[in-house]
Amino acid sequence: MDFFLQQTVNAVSLGGTYALLALGLAVVFSIMGLINFAHGELMTIAGYVLMYCGLAGLPFVLSIGLAIGAATVAAVLMERIAFRPVRNASGATMLITSFAVSMVLQVLFQNLISVRSQPVLLPPLLTDSVRMFGFVIGVNKLLSIAATVVMLIFLDWFMKRQKTGIAMRAAAEDFAVARLMGIRANSVIAGAFALSGLLAGVAAVLWVSQRASVDPLMGFTPVLKAFIAAILGGLGSLRGAVAGGFLLGFIEIYLAAYLPPEWQEFRDPIGLVLVVIVLLIRPNGLIPAPALKAHKV
Amino acid sequence: MKRLALTTALATLGMISPALAETLKVGVATAQTGGLATYDAPVIEGVHIAVDEINEAGGIGGNMPIELLEKDVRSDAAQTAIAVQELVDEGVSVLVLPCDADPSLAAMGIVSGAMIPAISTCASSPTLPMVGGEYMFANFPGDNVQATVSAEWAWEQGMKTGYILYSPDTQYTTLPLYFAEVFDALGGEMLGQDTYSIGQQDFSAIVTRIASLDPQPDVIMTAAYEPDFPSFLNALRAAGVTSQVIGSDGIDSPTTFSLGAPAEGLVFTTAGYAAEGSPLAEFNAKYEDVTGAPSQTVFNAVGYDLVKVIEAATEAAGSTDPQAIRDALANLEGVQGATSVITYKGTDGMPVREVSMIRVKEGERELVGQPSPTAELIPAPRMQ
Repeated sequence: MDFFLQQTVNAVSLGGTYALLALGLAVVFSIMGLINFAHGELMTIAGYVLMYCGLAGLPFVLSIGLAIGAATVAAVLMERIAFRPVRNASGATMLITSFAVSMVLQVLFQNLISVRSQPVLLPPLLTDSVRMFGFVIGVNKLLSIAATVVMLIFLDWFMKRQKTGIAMRAAAEDFAVARLMGIRANSVIAGAFALSGLLAGVAAVLWVSQRASVDPLMGFTPVLKAFIAAILGGLGSLRGAVAGGFLLGFIEIYLAAYLPPEWQEFRDPIGLVLVVIVLLIRPNGLIPAPALKAHKV
Repeated sequence: MKRLALTTALATLGMISPALAETLKVGVATAQTGGLATYDAPVIEGVHIAVDEINEAGGIGGNMPIELLEKDVRSDAAQTAIAVQELVDEGVSVLVLPCDADPSLAAMGIVSGAMIPAISTCASSPTLPMVGGEYMFANFPGDNVQATVSAEWAWEQGMKTGYILYSPDTQYTTLPLYFAEVFDALGGEMLGQDTYSIGQQDFSAIVTRIASLDPQPDVIMTAAYEPDFPSFLNALRAAGVTSQVIGSDGIDSPTTFSLGAPAEGLVFTTAGYAAEGSPLAEFNAKYEDVTGAPSQTVFNAVGYDLVKVIEAATEAAGSTDPQAIRDALANLEGVQGATSVITYKGTDGMPVREVSMIRVKEGERELVGQPSPTAELIPAPRMQ
């Protein structure tokens, strides 16, 4: 039982990080129909900011703020420089653009910073653990669960109570009509990117605080996981992204915990088979976007 | 008269220059971008330092400069084969291949077909020369040798029970299987094993399983490297597991020494240790002179070793003929590199080199020892 509870805590923590990642993709997709594969590079940028802040000896809390801020600014710049010129182009064009942005950034990191991974100095507190209700939980895990909860509450409030948030929801449902109602396309899209950058920044802090290093290619794995989670939840649906993220986290952890040893090698493919089964039953994802247009998927 | 002398001098120069102009063309097809760049990029830095040093002294044997023809293979197996073909077409005498058995083996057909000796920068899988054939050479202590050194050390320290974490993704990350084999042969008991995928971020499920073992294993061995290794180690210590952790050369990187408390007491095997006055310390000083920054990893020195091996082989061969260089390379004995004395004679292409065991102590490296493994214990290369 203890083992099960401990693994469940692990699953919630991992699922939460995936949920933040998937939300970042979903926010942009819901409005532009673009899956931004350069989302991972936003995380890398946040990671490098953490690294440089550590080298400069800034307090970690301040570094976190700067890292998240950097990811947000980078996301807005990314939209302005790379995606705005192709905004009305086909989905395929935008997708290729996002791959291009991702590769250009990776090569820039490799050439301007280092091809080798760089250590990030973390406060010792992060690798500590606390005893709660009879089992050991890493501080890192608690923080990641707390950050997920805070971000989800913030996002809910933002989308429901804030003008920009409401405008974004309207744009997600029907961009053309939303524009007729006087909503500015530029500001809504820039807002969506800023929000996705914010989410990437928070996820990056959680991600980097586990691995303690940054390298130019570190964005690939998280964006892949986010993509799977977003598809699983229903592309373009924010609630779906959260559900997909948590489900993916639970699948991964429980498989790692309960598959027999001789099957462990095939953990990833088995996990993906489960994802496919879910999609066979619910082709549009767990919680499909309300405005899902079939041709978009 | 003066004019005649000048003409004679020019003529003499002209006659000598063809011999002077003979250069050794070395084709370098390594990963300067992508996942392997972490290892190949520092190796190539070391290669450049060695080549510049040799060329400044007039070249190999004082009269044969080395010319490097470099191509980036982007950590991709297919790209490695293409780049190697291009280099072969340019008439290189020696090839340098990436730091991993898999892309190196992708070029195997071309290498053997062209009959040009090829050396991987730092692949450590003992299967590389076995599969690669007589033209394929490695430049690093083999995985099976490293594992034997660490298993024997663990056993001598009185550790009786072990646990391994490995990944079937590459040859290198299966190194712990050699460790388990040796540890078992010594009389130790393996309590279990786990697998992970390279790039896996979360180790909490695996760590929870290890933490729930009763009794806890005395030693946990893994060949995971960045970013997997720090994630694993942090999670392991956060879960309250205090067992001795042993790693391998992949974690010989600055991150390992900046992890703080979780890495304290961590032991790993690598290619060398810069004791005061050692060739490695000398190389590191030179590296700092040339680049203006201290060497961050032993892989710089491994690159220097690589060129020293090529130099020795070419000198012994006395020509730039690839076949002659291959034969000389296979018979090299006692070449002094930056990290170790290197011998190829009597091996199948996996060099005999020193293995250093390093302990992390207060964020610094401490030499545990440079033991020679017991030959009978070294496991046979295992095909995946």
